[in-house]
This record gives sequence, C-alpha cells and structure tokens, in this order.
Amino acid sequence: PAGPGGVAVPRAGLKKLALPPDYSGITIPEKPKLKFMDKVPAVPKVQREPRRLRDIRGPSEVATDFTQGQYGILALGGGYLHWGHFEMIRLTIGRSMDPKSMFAVWRVPAPYKPVTRKSLGHRMGGGKGPVDHFVTAVKSGRLVVEVGGRCEFGEVRPFLARVAQKLPFPAIPVSRESLQEMRREEEAKRLDNQNPWTFERVVASNMLGMRRYLSPYDLQLKGRYWGKFFLKHRV
Amino acid sequence: AVAAKMAALGGGGTRWRRAWLPALQLLRRGSKAVTRHWKAMHFQRQKLLALTEYLPPRPAVPPRCLPCHNTQGREVGRGPGPALQGFGRAFSCGCGTQPGWSLWKSFPVPGGSPICGTLRSLVAPWGLGMRAPCRSCIHAKEGWAACRSEQSLPEGLWCSVPMPSSRSPGACIDDTILSRQGVENFARLPSLEVSQGQTVAALSLLSSQTSSLLQRGPSHLTALLDEHIRRLRDSGGATEPPPG
Repeated sequence: PAGPGGVAVPRAGLKKLALPPDYSGITIPEKPKLKFMDKVPAVPKVQREPRRLRDIRGPSEVATDFTQGQYGILALGGGYLHWGHFEMIRLTIGRSMDPKSMFAVWRVPAPYKPVTRKSLGHRMGGGKGPVDHFVTAVKSGRLVVEVGGRCEFGEVRPFLARVAQKLPFPAIPVSRESLQEMRREEEAKRLDNQNPWTFERVVASNMLGMRRYLSPYDLQLKGRYWGKFFLKHRV
Repeated sequence: AVAAKMAALGGGGTRWRRAWLPALQLLRRGSKAVTRHWKAMHFQRQKLLALTEYLPPRPAVPPRCLPCHNTQGREVGRGPGPALQGFGRAFSCGCGTQPGWSLWKSFPVPGGSPICGTLRSLVAPWGLGMRAPCRSCIHAKEGWAACRSEQSLPEGLWCSVPMPSSRSPGACIDDTILSRQGVENFARLPSLEVSQGQTVAALSLLSSQTSSLLQRGPSHLTALLDEHIRRLRDSGGATEPPPG
C-alpha cells in the first residue's frame, strides 16, 4: 500500500494470505444454461419394452467422473428420472446460477425408456398397457449434472443440495476434490477393516453354502448394493 | 442400521405376509424398490450382512484411559476427583453470566477429609499473585476453587469480572490468585485491542518516522544533520561527521 509521496508504508500483519483461485483455463460455452430435454424422444418407440430393472441395479460405469465442470450432483442410489425431474433441475439451476460466470452441462441423456401403465380401475390381464411416459435410468455413482465456471464450491453447493434433495434417489453435491476424497476414504476403509470376514470373501468361496440364499449378482456387487439402494456404510 | 431394522422388524409386515415365506423378510428402508412392493431380503443374507460389517481399527490405548484435554489444551480433571483430595469442600461458579454473582454450588468432596479453616488460610500459603498450584482444580471455564473451610463462602467472594466495590479479599482471574489491590490494578489495564494497537504503533514508530523524514527532501535532511552535529560538538568532544 502506497503512503503519501509514493513511499510504501509497511503495515503490520498479513499472517495468512489466501490467494484468489486461478480461473485461467476455464472457458464458458455459448449456451451456459442447461439444455431443454424433451418429454418424448424424437423417434418414439412403438414396440413396448420389458421392464428391465437391472438398469437401476449396481454401480454405474458411465459418467462417473468429471469432464467439463468442477462441481456436480452425484447419485448415491439408482432410480428413474422423468421429465418433471428434468424440468425441476433445469429451472432451479438456471435460476440460481449466473450465466456470465458459470455454466452447467447434462450428464444424463433425455428420457428414452418407455414406461407403460394400465388405466386405473381395471383388473389384471388384457395384455401390456400402453406407453405412459419416458424415463432415464440412473445407477448409483453417476453424475447427473455438472456445473463449472468462475465460482467456488461454497457458492454452488446450496442450490445443488436443494436439487439433490428433490431427486427420486439419494444424491449429494460434489466437487472434483470431494469426490476424490470420498473414493480415497472408501479405499482406506476397505484396507483397514479389522473384520476378517468380508461379504466378498464369503460369497466368492461360497462359505456355508451362502450362495443358496444370495443372488448371482452378489458376486460383483459384493454386498454394497441391494436392489436400487447403495449401502454406503458397508465396506 | 440393518441390524436395528432386523431386530425391530422381526418377521416383517403383517401376519399374512409373514406366512408367505418366513425366511424372506421385508426390509423397509424409506422408499420402495422401483416396483410396487418393498424388496424382501432373505434372513440368511441379513445375518451375513450383520457378520461382515465394517470394524474400525481400535487404538492401542482406549480413549477413556487417556487424560482428557479441554479446548485450550490444558489438562482437566474429570470432576473433582484426585485433584481436590485433602480439601473439605469445593465450590464451583459459572463465569460470564452476570457481573454480580450469586454463590456457587458447593458440595463436599467425596472421600475428602474435612479440615477447618478460612479462605485466608488457603490464600496465604499460595501467596497473592502466584499461580494456583494444581491447574486441574482451577478450570478456565467454570471457576472451580477448593477451600479448606467447612463453612460456605460469603456472597460475592470469587468473581470472574473484577468489581472494586465488592468486599472480597481477592479474586482468581486467569489461573492467578490476586489480592484486592491486584484486582483493582487488573481492572485498570487497557483492553486487548488497545494494547495490541499500542504494540503495533510502538513497533512501527521507527519506520514511520524514517519514511516521514525521507519524504521531506534533501535540503531538510542536510539541515537536520548539521544541527545534530553542532549539538554533539557542543555537548561532547569533537565528533566526526558521518560519511556522505
């Protein structure tokens, strides 16, 4: 700080100086807000599809890591997102973010899976019902939206948490660092587990004939997943 | 959570549901599986999940055996305990409630032998202005004080805020026992912000004076130096002018 006459007057104290974050490598795309998602795909399927609930079960292989943004919403359970959820996410994030300094990107496709419903009040039978609406399947561990730009996690977290609460599966807002931290903690927990008996070990060697009562999928899921639920407390 | 649910549910839903397949238990965890019903889990699977839960590593010394530390890092005894042995009665007071005080709670120290005496006998051997010997009986948050007297203390004796008008013989402030005079002196000390400002001003005095000198100009400096040399010559012997 310059004093009178241009002489720098030293001031007692800046013990800790937190440097402002470096946003040099970040470019905000032309359309920073979330794209509008259709209720029905452009080529709607005529053939009705079987239910196939295995697209909810287990961990996700796609969209598990960040690509463009720095913060996002991570799904901690499986579920279906329909058009209402998409609109809610799009409008809430569009309302809460600043389009000049932040951008948001979808990490889930538009609804593609047809869901049938029989009309209300009718008895069972009479064939499969007509297509009612379309949904997107989300597995646990998948990112739903990504947000980036010249912003901090603390700014983004409140509205991402509000969005995450309204989703049909448990979800949390994450950043790149927090996701890494979560994975590291999980790995550390797995390594320093004092219990000599693990689900994986019991199932792999079929101890006590346990595979009679377990599903063949438990070999891969290893006790951490049950149906659409992700059991976070389990190792 | 799974174990608790298992214990709470037992057989699962209503009686006719349980008869469907007794080993298959309904686990209700807040939302249904995507289908219309809850996802049932076999009891053997529940047992296996309970068996294979995560066990965190245990420290070598259990935490209950270690001495507990308060937020300032000082060792604090849990309650009266061994720190107050030999004292007949202990008094505790809440700090920071009101400037005036009511008497604290007094309670007999368990297992302590009653020794008659007054508070002055406690104060005298410790000495005024000295630090209290055992820290564990003077807690920074709640002013504990151990007293040899069997009688309760007169009101307004120990204070957290120094009050010159009180009739107290002394006070215990910040782990130090002060006499009446000491309390009055303590009250006249400047506040923390004021003293910090004074320190900063004292430290930066030299540099600020130097900067103001340099701003005046070379002629002024030369005049000052000449004056200084003249005075030294007048007072002492011959002084060599500084180079430059």
